[in-house]
Amino acid sequence: MVLFVGKRLLLFGFMLLGLLTIMFLITNVAPGDPAKLMAGQNATQDMVETIRREYGLDKSLPEQYAVYIGGVLRGDLGRSIVSTKPVVEELLRYFPATFELVLVAMGLGILIGVPFGMLSAVYRDSWIDHATRIFSVSGVALPAFWFGLLLQLYFAVHLEWLPVSGRLELITPPPEPVSRLYLIDSLLRGEFDTFREAFQHIILPALVLSFPCLASILRVNRAEMLEVLQSDYIVAARANGIPAFRIITVYALKNAMLPTLAIIGLRFGWMLGSTVLVETVFDWPGIGLYAVQSALYSDFKPVLGVTLLIGFCFIFINFLIDLAYGWLDPRLRTQ
Amino acid sequence: MASDITSAAPTGWRARHAGTIRQWRLYAHLFRRSFSSMLGLFLVVLFLVLAAAGPALAPYPEDTMGAVHLDNRLKPPSLAHPFGTDEMGNDILSRVIVGTRTSLWIGLIITGVAALIGVPLGIFAGYMGGRIREVIMRITDVFLSVPGLALALAIVASLGPGITNCVIALSLVWWPGYVRLIDSKTLALKEELYIEAARAIGARTPRILFHHILPNCVSPLIVKASMDMGMAILSAASLGFIGLGAKPPSPEWGAMISVARSYMPDWWWYALFPGLAIYLTVLGFNLFGDGLRDILDPKSRGR
Amino acid sequence: MKKFVMLGLAAALLSTAALPAAAFERVGDRKVIVFGGRQQVPVIDPHVRYDWSIRMMQQSLYDAMAKYNGNPAKIEPWLAQKWESSPDAKTWTFHLVRNAKFHNGDPVDAEAVRYSFERGLKLNKGVAWMLKDVLDPSGIEVVDAHTVRFNLKSSYAPFISWIPWWYIVNPKQVKANEVDGDYGQKWLTENAAGSGPFKTKRWEQNVLYELVAVDNYWKGWPQGEKNRPAGIIYKIIREPAAQKAALQRGEADIVEGLTPDDYDQIKSTKGIVVQSHAGMTTFGIKFNTQTGPTKDINLRKAIAYAVDYDSFVKVYNGAAILETSPFPQGMQGHVDVPERPKQDLAKAKEYLAKSAYPNGGIELDYYHVAGLEEARRIGLVLLDNLSKLNIKVNVTPEQWPNMVAKGSKPDTAPNMTSVYVTPISTDPDAVAYQYHRNAWGQYFAMSHYNNADVNALIDKARTLGKWEERAPLYAEIQKKIVADQPEVFGMIQNRRWAHRDYLKGFAFSPVRFTGEVDLYPLWIDAK
Repeated sequence: MVLFVGKRLLLFGFMLLGLLTIMFLITNVAPGDPAKLMAGQNATQDMVETIRREYGLDKSLPEQYAVYIGGVLRGDLGRSIVSTKPVVEELLRYFPATFELVLVAMGLGILIGVPFGMLSAVYRDSWIDHATRIFSVSGVALPAFWFGLLLQLYFAVHLEWLPVSGRLELITPPPEPVSRLYLIDSLLRGEFDTFREAFQHIILPALVLSFPCLASILRVNRAEMLEVLQSDYIVAARANGIPAFRIITVYALKNAMLPTLAIIGLRFGWMLGSTVLVETVFDWPGIGLYAVQSALYSDFKPVLGVTLLIGFCFIFINFLIDLAYGWLDPRLRTQ
Repeated sequence: MASDITSAAPTGWRARHAGTIRQWRLYAHLFRRSFSSMLGLFLVVLFLVLAAAGPALAPYPEDTMGAVHLDNRLKPPSLAHPFGTDEMGNDILSRVIVGTRTSLWIGLIITGVAALIGVPLGIFAGYMGGRIREVIMRITDVFLSVPGLALALAIVASLGPGITNCVIALSLVWWPGYVRLIDSKTLALKEELYIEAARAIGARTPRILFHHILPNCVSPLIVKASMDMGMAILSAASLGFIGLGAKPPSPEWGAMISVARSYMPDWWWYALFPGLAIYLTVLGFNLFGDGLRDILDPKSRGR
Repeated sequence: MKKFVMLGLAAALLSTAALPAAAFERVGDRKVIVFGGRQQVPVIDPHVRYDWSIRMMQQSLYDAMAKYNGNPAKIEPWLAQKWESSPDAKTWTFHLVRNAKFHNGDPVDAEAVRYSFERGLKLNKGVAWMLKDVLDPSGIEVVDAHTVRFNLKSSYAPFISWIPWWYIVNPKQVKANEVDGDYGQKWLTENAAGSGPFKTKRWEQNVLYELVAVDNYWKGWPQGEKNRPAGIIYKIIREPAAQKAALQRGEADIVEGLTPDDYDQIKSTKGIVVQSHAGMTTFGIKFNTQTGPTKDINLRKAIAYAVDYDSFVKVYNGAAILETSPFPQGMQGHVDVPERPKQDLAKAKEYLAKSAYPNGGIELDYYHVAGLEEARRIGLVLLDNLSKLNIKVNVTPEQWPNMVAKGSKPDTAPNMTSVYVTPISTDPDAVAYQYHRNAWGQYFAMSHYNNADVNALIDKARTLGKWEERAPLYAEIQKKIVADQPEVFGMIQNRRWAHRDYLKGFAFSPVRFTGEVDLYPLWIDAK
């Protein structure tokens, strides 16, 4: 087991380095000159050079790469040229908002995806199955940015039921930071009004974000349920006269949950990536919006930082799933 | 003479291929039974027809090439303009119809390039095994570890906006999926008896790859490609929405929505119809691919 | 049962009653003004960077020795109660007011002024370009606690026009927060050490920035102490649709980024006022005059005569005026140049026949900033217009940084680039200098225009002290530039804001940037 974990860790490190190199190369093809931009419209050449020196952009590309890798090893992802602040500091500031959004979206995905997956499996090939299928495929097919806009305009602008964008009302101070997730912090402090406000703000973006993930949870759950429902011990349980509802919710679901959990893990990293669109639509101050805004200014250290963070989460979750499978299935360890 | 040949063979084409025909009939039957598959097929066919006949069907073809009718701006849907007009006074219906062609090209090129890179790599990795496979698969994993959209965003942001760069970025993001798929399929096939037999009688590697392994990868490949068509179109539209997509005046759905969103909600039709077009197209390809998978590759369902 | 409880809980959470009714935010019995803007404020250090949103904050947190006010913009005494210059415009002496105080109670004295100018010059960022050629840190002289003298390296009449943009920081606070000799840059990024009418409060990057009004601001409040607001919240709202919704629901009191159609539609809404003022931001389509087909002046003229200028105004739904010379109408020294091209297809074809491309048949790139709606639409108009000359236009959106990089060299500058330019001061030198050979490499000089006569005239005009001597030179410069057609002279769009009718004290001044508002005199007139 130790050997297995060690090997996986090595691979983990290798992948991060690869990811970093690719991203660094890609972002440096850009013809844009952020230093010139930040120096201002009338800045003279030597003013631009001042900024270039300050951010190490005057060095050759290999040198910049070496400096960057060295920094990453020390936990330093460089400085944003737009905000002048270290990227790590900014990621810490924006990540909780994204994390909260993804958590709620995942919750919604599970709450809707699992029951519908079960229904679909139990009533296989009936109209429920077909309707669920179209619904779940719709989840993948709906352009998140468009769907988000429609929901926003209908529920927030037209009906005025929900706020248009942001995390809290203007005048409401954010709850004292513990986890930096407003929903949790406000509960911890007993500020129920703040909690309600935070919930109203998060529900639309979370719903939009959860749709594609809901679809895959639903599909996997359906497939696994089908398999389990046909297995011997369920047939036996049925023969023993255990009520159908109990069989489905207790025996079958329990066994179908493991692959479902795996897909939830995979989808988690994927969702972090699609926050780019959802956060843009809802002005959600998370890492996705941060990446888009920085990309528009050719400020590439933050873009690099965000992709690295997302990639890290993605690889890390895969790593955990690998470990879990390795632990559950000893045959994999010897591979 | 040609007619002689057919009549000379008493069994005829039909009889010679009776097995295959029977198989396809079964497929068609299975496919027809499923409502969602048929819906997918219908949407895909509709999409292809619109893409093929595009400008001929559009009521105002000149509106898709950058006409300016500033007196006719932002008119609501009417008989003359069933989908309304946009901020330059152009007919939205015409632009949505012609946009189909742009989307088809985007989808075809992205999936095509991705398959062209991914399939050979996958077969190679799966067949050779060992170190080579290890290296190929690890590189693939690195690319897979960044969510596609984030990576494409970074690429397009540095290359600059435009359809070509969009397509380059998305093709770069798309191929690893094919490597994974074909690699696992090849690994499984390699152990099959008939491949071992072919190797034993001295068939050379290229022959085994092309005559035995590749044909057996075709059905999962078709399934994946048809699903990917939809997703590629969706991703390109997403980039268009962020403002990194097609150049004006060529009509592209994502870019249309990107402009339209500042005209929401009072001029709702502008954003609504291009969005519906994306949704229905992607839905069509997904349902269609799903249906194909059920009959061609039933075991992998749900994955 | 559990399910019903859950449903009930969900309903309660989503209930409409929880949304605040449309009303202004308050702190105690004073109101807070909410400004909805698109652009963030990453840095507030007055000597490091400026753009419209940043300067709006700097102007509120800091004071300068003088301030621009009114329309047309005039320079008013502020921290300096008066000033005088030597006849050759080389020595400038400023006399400071006695009662000005920094937020921490320190007096604003001559040393603070000296330190601030020295800091600006030494950092060599942001505002430094305005004065670095004529002023050395050693040339700033503290005469007494309330008098400061600037000894310039050469005569420079426009000196006073830059003074309002050099804000005064508190040297003691800055030095106390210095890290590794950075002149307090790190600290001043999100903290202020000023004497202005507001102080910083909540600073949530990418979300909102809250200012609180200073008690007993040394200059008092124009709206009266009783009416002054408790503070200002600048909220980032990126989408025009969201901005409009926020204004209509009363969640924002003033917004800046609606589409022309939105402004048109919203101005008839009860309770909403649209401010629409001719600014000084000019729109031009810059030709590359050094390389490519547009090097040919006849082709440039042909294009200039083919353009439908009226549609430039239509793109803004009428809220714009056409340029009549390279200088905006509000600028000192502006003259109408009657020879400027108007749409005339016959003339366009005449010039085309004289050019190297008598039958057209070429394709030209038109670059605009990705996401700038109006510039994109003008590109489409151009595409339509030039098709009559058998010239194809390739409308290309580009990220601003990439466009600036491309446009900085004659070899890479696109054939045509659409650029909005806002002059930074009211002195005509600020516009004229864009057409000087020395401006090459800047975004407003993408045409890489070079005319020796014009260069000489500009050089001469900036050293003269008397306006009567300068004015004829600037008239000459405008005529010469129009004759060379380095760009299609476009329009000057109106600057627009929409605000609730209870928001009072809005004062427009054309020298401020697009979107920028003087927050100091604003107040809310309502119960």
